[in-house]
Amino acid sequence: MGEEEAKQEEKEEKAKPKEEFKLSFDYFNESRLGIFALTIGVLMAIFPGLPAFIKGVGIMIVFAWGADSVRKTARYGLGTGVPSIGVLAMGFGIIGGITGIAVASLSFGTLVVGGVEIAFGVLAGVVLLALLGFVSGNLANGDKFINMKIPGLERGMMELGMAGTLAVLIETSIVAGTYDITRVLPSVIDNGVIAVIFIISAFGMLQPLNTCLGADERRGRTLLMSIEIGGIAGIILGIVTTLTLSAFEGVPLIVLGAVVWVVFYRAYMKACMEEAYAVKGTGLIKTLGG
Amino acid sequence: MPVISLFAWMLVIAFLAFIACMFEDLESDIGSQSNPNSQVQLAPEMGYIHRYFNKAISGEGLSYGLSCTISGTIAMLILLQLGSVGPKAAVLAIPVGAAVGSLVHMVRSSTCHVGRESAHKRFEQPIYLDVFYGHLLPIATHNFMAVICITAIAYIQCNLGILSGVTGASNPFPLPLLCLIWGLTVGAIGSSTGDIHYGTERVFQDKPFGEGRRVVYHGQICRYGDCGVRTSKDVAAFCAKFGGPATGLAFGLIVLFENWRTVIGMLLGGLSIGGLANPAVAAAWGIGIGIGIAIVLVILARTLEKWTRNKYGPFVGE
Repeated sequence: MGEEEAKQEEKEEKAKPKEEFKLSFDYFNESRLGIFALTIGVLMAIFPGLPAFIKGVGIMIVFAWGADSVRKTARYGLGTGVPSIGVLAMGFGIIGGITGIAVASLSFGTLVVGGVEIAFGVLAGVVLLALLGFVSGNLANGDKFINMKIPGLERGMMELGMAGTLAVLIETSIVAGTYDITRVLPSVIDNGVIAVIFIISAFGMLQPLNTCLGADERRGRTLLMSIEIGGIAGIILGIVTTLTLSAFEGVPLIVLGAVVWVVFYRAYMKACMEEAYAVKGTGLIKTLGG
Repeated sequence: MPVISLFAWMLVIAFLAFIACMFEDLESDIGSQSNPNSQVQLAPEMGYIHRYFNKAISGEGLSYGLSCTISGTIAMLILLQLGSVGPKAAVLAIPVGAAVGSLVHMVRSSTCHVGRESAHKRFEQPIYLDVFYGHLLPIATHNFMAVICITAIAYIQCNLGILSGVTGASNPFPLPLLCLIWGLTVGAIGSSTGDIHYGTERVFQDKPFGEGRRVVYHGQICRYGDCGVRTSKDVAAFCAKFGGPATGLAFGLIVLFENWRTVIGMLLGGLSIGGLANPAVAAAWGIGIGIGIAIVLVILARTLEKWTRNKYGPFVGE
């Protein structure tokens, strides 16, 4: 009994720092976050007529999902491979995004119900990339092929493909306001905005785990950062949208991005400072066990 | 005359590339980014508490891709807004874009240090606030120098036709995409060339010459400087003497040879103000000269390696 009590005490002590922060991801475990983000992401993606700042919330949630998938895939010791996994996600994302936009631009890809545009076609890209991700995960993990034996790689790859595709789709619809290829090409691809969409979404997914990597990495802290990068993405895309669409669409997105960035940057920094071994103004170094 | 000005602009690009990669390498050394970071990360786990800045944004290529792309996007938007002013708008657009890009880079590196050090809680690695605050400004300033040069290169390439007066000389890619490509490239060269100098000369000094990093020595980084405890800023001052310029030279030479072979090929293909008379001949000559340069460089590198092995070898483990 005595040992069990001691263990319980230990558990309580470990659980304490989680309760101190209001911004917690304890409810959204890996599966719940995935389902929630997929639902929200698909809803944001198929209604290109939504205001830009609502879609801005969508990309933050999708970033958090992508970062969680990268964490799932890479935490089993893929040290230097973490950035590669994030870039892989966005490579998937660009393929899926272009496929989705192409299908949505076809006559049957977009329905107009009562003046509201519903672009079902983009789901083709999401489904394609879910399949592609599953196949590539199986190729990498399967006994007959590369046989890497990383637990949960198939699921991780599938989620990465879907998260990347949704990020590209939502960001494209923020900047262009529609999935019509005749308007997407000049305002997203020809002027090179696709480059900033690619790199900032990749960072939203790859940087959180790469930055927080270590023995005492905590999921809640890691995911705070993905939303913080979502804030920066909101500011940059807001500036782009102000010029490509209108200030009416862009300025609320800039404000949302700035507020989210300040709140989540503070929360992340506070979490790190409080959970570190010690925060010292300055000091000399020591060698443990030597 | 326009053909000479085309060549002059290409020399300007090579010079800017030299400056960009030199500052890129020094910036990555302030904060042990890329390959040497793995040992800085391992040090507390092996019990060696250190005062290095742990800047693990991602690999150098990607993190420079981010800051350069953001810089290029902002510059492109300003250029579009000030379209009526003409090419003069670049005087405002490029520095403002680079400032935003390096600001984002500084924010990203600030999250890295606290994130990685707080994940070392069980190894008793504290966060030293003077290390944290003291490194942010050098990171931002060095990054600004690199990003402004890269954005300028991308701008020159985008508008080469107008700037030099030769029709068709402009790069067909848009400014942000060129910035992404150049950012990834400058990061890759800075990582592959500069890290070796930084790592072997400054961080991993405790090993026999010519030997690879043995597992026994993992995490055993050089934590003390000439006087007192070393921080990442001190490393930059050391690397500025040789590692940074050498890295800049590597990238500058790549860009110079690349541009040189293209221009020679274009001249042989009948270059005039109206554009190329014979594109196929120009491409063939360009590729031929490129292969020639590559063969000469391979022979030079092989000769140098043989000379070094004869003079200083045999190495441990050979």
